[in-house]
Amino acid sequence: METERPVAGIHCGEVLADLTEHLDARLGPERERRVGEHLDGCERCRSLREEIAAAVCALRELPDEPLPPGVEERLLASLTMES
Amino acid sequence: MVEADDARISDETLIGRTAAGDAAAFGRLVRRHQAAVYRFALACSPEGAEKIAEEIAEEILQETFRAARAAARRHRDEPSALPWLLAIARQVAERRRTHSREPREADLASLRELARAAGWGEPSRLAGGAPDAHAVESALAALLPEDREILTLCDREYFTVDEAARVADASEAVVRARLHRARLRLAARLREGSHGD
Repeated sequence: METERPVAGIHCGEVLADLTEHLDARLGPERERRVGEHLDGCERCRSLREEIAAAVCALRELPDEPLPPGVEERLLASLTMES
Repeated sequence: MVEADDARISDETLIGRTAAGDAAAFGRLVRRHQAAVYRFALACSPEGAEKIAEEIAEEILQETFRAARAAARRHRDEPSALPWLLAIARQVAERRRTHSREPREADLASLRELARAAGWGEPSRLAGGAPDAHAVESALAALLPEDREILTLCDREYFTVDEAARVADASEAVVRARLHRARLRLAARLREGSHGD
């Protein structure tokens, strides 16, 4: 179990719970300020934020693949049969 | 392909015409959203991005549009039909997996455990560069369908939390919590994958 001390008045566990809200800019201004200060002073939480941000960024950059061959034709055929 | 004029006709109009029996309008709606519905269906499929998952996704796709046509009269007015269509797709996928549902060990993991797996407390692996598309697709395929589902809604379709909550039939708080856990698991999978490089 890691030892934990508060940074900027917040424990890592609290910041950990808020990282997605922080990355998506959904925290309120006061909470955002406190989480930001914690991240500025805490290497391990900052590092985790970067890991998550990199994963989300890579996910968002995945290309939108077209439908595999034949899927649209079979879909339209199945809908026509039932109409 | 979607005709140029199609973009000017709103989903709302197409659904209204579909409800009135206009097959051409329904065809346009299908072509407009089929790729996104298929992508989401693939995310909901239990086996990940493998051949069998593609077959299941195709069945979900077909069933979704059949159900959408039948329910067109009950559709509430919205600028985009996609959240509505994905909510139907999710219901279809959920019915399919109800019987195989079993307790998920990963659901019980604490946030701290998930964070440690994602590299909390260890040096960042970003020095090796951002993960490439193949690594991300492999990591996604290794996740639980529930995780793929929420990541697809929020980080691929860019749904708001409110929209994702309606599709997932869950509260916004639950969606936020699920999204956070899913992102941690994705980061952990990417980290695992990078160890093998």
